[in-house]
Amino acid sequence: MAQERFADVVERFTSGFAADAPAETIKQWQQELERGFRRLQNLHGLMTNPVEPKTGQTPRVEIYKRNKSRLYRYESTRTHRTPVLFVPNLGISRPYIFDLLPGGSFIEHMTKQGFDFYLLDWGVFGPEDNDLSVDECVTKILPRMARRVLETSETDELSVLGYCMGAPISASFVASHPEVPVKNFVNMAGPIDFAKVGLFGLWLGKDKFNVDRFVDTLGSVPADMVKAGFKLLKPTMDLSTNLNLWWNLWNDKYLEGFQALNKWANEYVAFPGEFFRQWVRDFYQDNKLYRDELVMGGRPIRLERITCPVFVVGAKEDYIAPPECVRALLDKVGSREKEYIELPGGHISLIAGRGAAVHCWPKVSAWLGPRS
Amino acid sequence: MADAPGPSQLFEQWKKQFEEGAQAWSRLITQTAAASPSPTPDPTAFWRPVLDQGVQTWAKLFAQTPATPELLTQWKQFLDQWIEAWSKVLGQAMGTEQFAKLLGQSLDQMLVAAAPAKKAMDQQIEQALQALNLPSRSQVTAIAKQIVELEDRIDRLEDSISAKLRRLAERESR
Repeated sequence: MAQERFADVVERFTSGFAADAPAETIKQWQQELERGFRRLQNLHGLMTNPVEPKTGQTPRVEIYKRNKSRLYRYESTRTHRTPVLFVPNLGISRPYIFDLLPGGSFIEHMTKQGFDFYLLDWGVFGPEDNDLSVDECVTKILPRMARRVLETSETDELSVLGYCMGAPISASFVASHPEVPVKNFVNMAGPIDFAKVGLFGLWLGKDKFNVDRFVDTLGSVPADMVKAGFKLLKPTMDLSTNLNLWWNLWNDKYLEGFQALNKWANEYVAFPGEFFRQWVRDFYQDNKLYRDELVMGGRPIRLERITCPVFVVGAKEDYIAPPECVRALLDKVGSREKEYIELPGGHISLIAGRGAAVHCWPKVSAWLGPRS
Repeated sequence: MADAPGPSQLFEQWKKQFEEGAQAWSRLITQTAAASPSPTPDPTAFWRPVLDQGVQTWAKLFAQTPATPELLTQWKQFLDQWIEAWSKVLGQAMGTEQFAKLLGQSLDQMLVAAAPAKKAMDQQIEQALQALNLPSRSQVTAIAKQIVELEDRIDRLEDSISAKLRRLAERESR
């Protein structure tokens, strides 16, 4: 049989197609045409009248500030007695990702579950902050923040919840400050064993990355460089993001979520120089936290001194803090009660998105609730 | 009527086209080398078999497949898989020692080149601002640092006073 020409195919499609097509197919095409029209409409709206997404809408009060750091307390029914101090990453990105949109906010979820929720916002750093070190965060800022939480909530104990970089920093704080009454510790996607931290560990290795030259030359890590580093981890991310955007552009709800998340994903924060130097050298290059070699403010940091109940959440496809790197906390703490769960998704999917609201947040609040 | 091909079949067809295109290229090289000692390679000779094969395969595909929006969904899934495949390839390339070393060397070279230029520029700007009787960045930064130190002192005073008040309260309660 002779090969069908492309012209024959086109003719077959364009003549007599509509008459032969089943009703279901015609309905699907109608729906697809409507979606196509909505896509063009929304694209026009995006380009000519971009709306600034309203993020961080859960009501809160500023309790304390120290230089650029702010401690916020969120409105809550406060049915659980023990307050929660949430310690996110320092630099890199803004913390409104944890309170992105109504109905899609980790903080909103926790406050609705009755937790007295405090957020530590490390702030946006300038050249005057280049002397800020990891030491200062662990030995000065965090103890002060914890004290303020206890004073304002009028309780004797608090729970500490660390996300991403906030987890090893807060773990160092909890391990070296036994005088601070920490009742529970939660690690969400926080790297602990930096020998298993993936691409960043490889690229920042001692034999490849001269952190001293970097900090001495630039003073700090500019936000653009932080952005470039994270984009390099997944170079095709922007391509798939824009493809998914075009595919779902007809959906107003999707568009609202996309605009909020996209705003956050493109808003990076600089690293103070000395903080970056110590972070890379002591954590990424020497893995001192996991090896029990870390000393801060004269206090040795030994994770085995964490004896409160510990809950660790890892993400299966996390390429920033791979699950084995996060899970390692369980091997080091001295707690009798400790639990690890691994959830589908990547680094951000634990704290934002529909998957987080379904898979992650209820598990965190369900674990903390009876222990608060 | 044939069943609509799934995304995996579309991906297999793309892979097949790519392999056959590569084979066409290697055949071309072999034939050209055998024909003359130093021929001028014809770039279109590589792309023509790939494109012809691609057009024929897709024409067959559209001929067999009923034209429904599901085809668009399958096309989207194919693109997702294609992007994922590229992501894996790039991830593997970037996870090598060579890439990491290259990245470190490039950064080092950039810093070595940038350092004297940055220092010279900072000095010039500082001098220009001084001449205009305007504060420089380093002066503003120094003031900001002093304010931070003052805040720290106030915090320490507050902590000290709170501790003393707590001790007093404890003594009185006894």
